[in-house]
Amino acid sequence: MLEVKHLSKDFGGITVIRDLSFTVNAGERRVILGPNGAGKTTLFHLLTGVEKASSGSISFAGKNISKMNAVERARVGIARSYQKNNLFEHLTIRENLMLAAAAATGKSRWFFRDVINQADMKTRIEETAEQVALTDQLDLMVSAVSYGNRRQLEVGLALATKPALLLMDEPTSGVGPAMIDTFHQLLETLPRDITILIIEHDMDLAFSIADRITVLNFGEKVFEGTPEDTRGNPTVRQIYLGGGDGTYGATNDHA
Amino acid sequence: MFYQTRLRTITLILALGFLAVYASFGSYFAREIVIEITILAILAISLDFCAGFGGMVSLCHGAIMGISAYAFTIMSVKLGLPSVPSAMIGLMAAVVFSGLVGWVTARTSGIFFIMATLAFGQMAYTFFFKSRWLGGDDGMGGIDRFNLSWLGVDMNDALVFALFGVAVLLLVYVIAAILLRSGFGRILSGIHSNENRMQAVGINTANHKAMAMAASGLMAGIAGILAAQHTLYISPELLIWTVSGEVLLVVILGGIGTLIGPVVGAIMLVMLKHELSNYTDYWHMVVGMVLIFAVLAGGRGIFGQIEYWLITRHSPKTPHLPPAKEKDLA
Repeated sequence: MLEVKHLSKDFGGITVIRDLSFTVNAGERRVILGPNGAGKTTLFHLLTGVEKASSGSISFAGKNISKMNAVERARVGIARSYQKNNLFEHLTIRENLMLAAAAATGKSRWFFRDVINQADMKTRIEETAEQVALTDQLDLMVSAVSYGNRRQLEVGLALATKPALLLMDEPTSGVGPAMIDTFHQLLETLPRDITILIIEHDMDLAFSIADRITVLNFGEKVFEGTPEDTRGNPTVRQIYLGGGDGTYGATNDHA
Repeated sequence: MFYQTRLRTITLILALGFLAVYASFGSYFAREIVIEITILAILAISLDFCAGFGGMVSLCHGAIMGISAYAFTIMSVKLGLPSVPSAMIGLMAAVVFSGLVGWVTARTSGIFFIMATLAFGQMAYTFFFKSRWLGGDDGMGGIDRFNLSWLGVDMNDALVFALFGVAVLLLVYVIAAILLRSGFGRILSGIHSNENRMQAVGINTANHKAMAMAASGLMAGIAGILAAQHTLYISPELLIWTVSGEVLLVVILGGIGTLIGPVVGAIMLVMLKHELSNYTDYWHMVVGMVLIFAVLAGGRGIFGQIEYWLITRHSPKTPHLPPAKEKDLA
């Protein structure tokens, strides 16, 4: 489904992603772990085309998408939710979901017909709202709902495009334990025809939903395996708990 | 996001009704005022379309209008084409110019966009000002109005022409409203709200914005044809940036992002101008104070503020303006 080969990214003299290769199968839930500055979000930038890779290639559904820009990659079915909310402010949740769905279905070229009350769109908006548990808030302004609801909408915007590959950048960042359960449920109920790559810091959530886990540190892949293997891996423990010979420490001033 | 609410429909009917009645029962001078209002209102709708809904605050709408007027006049006066095809070519020229401006400036925003559009406008102004073939700063005359004698009316009659202007204003409003509530218009509002996210869900926002500018240019072009046929004479003064500035003032005064607000603003500005100039040469100062008050009072403009009061009074607990109930354009 997704094949990343020898991917590297330099910012000036700093290498943020170094010779990274991994493959994600269709329908898989892949968790990306790594301390701050490991290059997780940069990896998402490279996958979505927001940043151009310095070298290496990315294939998606059998096609080399390395040369595609962000808009083209969105159109082939890669969607992303952001670590910091990146919503359509001053609009309602319904309008937010409508915009994402209309964009993904080519309705930006409808010059005469409205899309809000169109049957297909209505269904899709309501389905997505149900997936992210926002049905009751549909007609509220984004600014009038809680932070947790906005995190749900953040994922909703990506889901409304009906992606084949969903990249989730810390969906639970800044939300309380109750909301983490909501996200847990959400992730478990998402259909398996969506392949998911997720950056997550909540270990319980990460380990329970992951099929496989890829661990990054200083832009390099240091481990990849099942949740059980990851838990028992000494390198991973070292990165997260510090100590040892000091090779992997808590201090990390790389970008 | 645009909704043609009942309040907006009522305001539209009242505004157009007022203009029609004022022209019908007023003097020749009143009819001139009405046509002046309709031209300004059409241009203001055009600007509100791209500025209020697409975030593109253009300072070249006067130039777009002028280019349309010039292209129309060149075709009909210089090349002797009938007035309807000439007008079509005039509109095309406006669409091409504004689409080009939109395409070039699509990657800029805020103050840079404003400055870039100003530069385009001034280039167009200088071109016509310097062009001796087109009369330079003397401009060109000899324009004919559309021939509507097959309808049994004489367009050279001030009342007929004023009512024609009101009808064209209605047409432009309907065009803008249909575009704004279409998928195209919704996505435009989305770009205004968050361009980065709109790209992330697969919209080429630069192209979309250029198309929106072209659509806005079509409306500004209609104002240009009407302006040329009104005075039967055109000069580079149509393209001066202060024309664009005045249109922006009208949009803000009436209520940016409301579509009907600019119509209200145009009526207010022109009426104020003519009433006050009977009493004082300093009418600009009064208009300036009204504008400052309108901006300080929340920036919603006159119509926008009234709309806000009415909506919040009906649902006082809603801290934010809820989306209005969609009413079909009847």
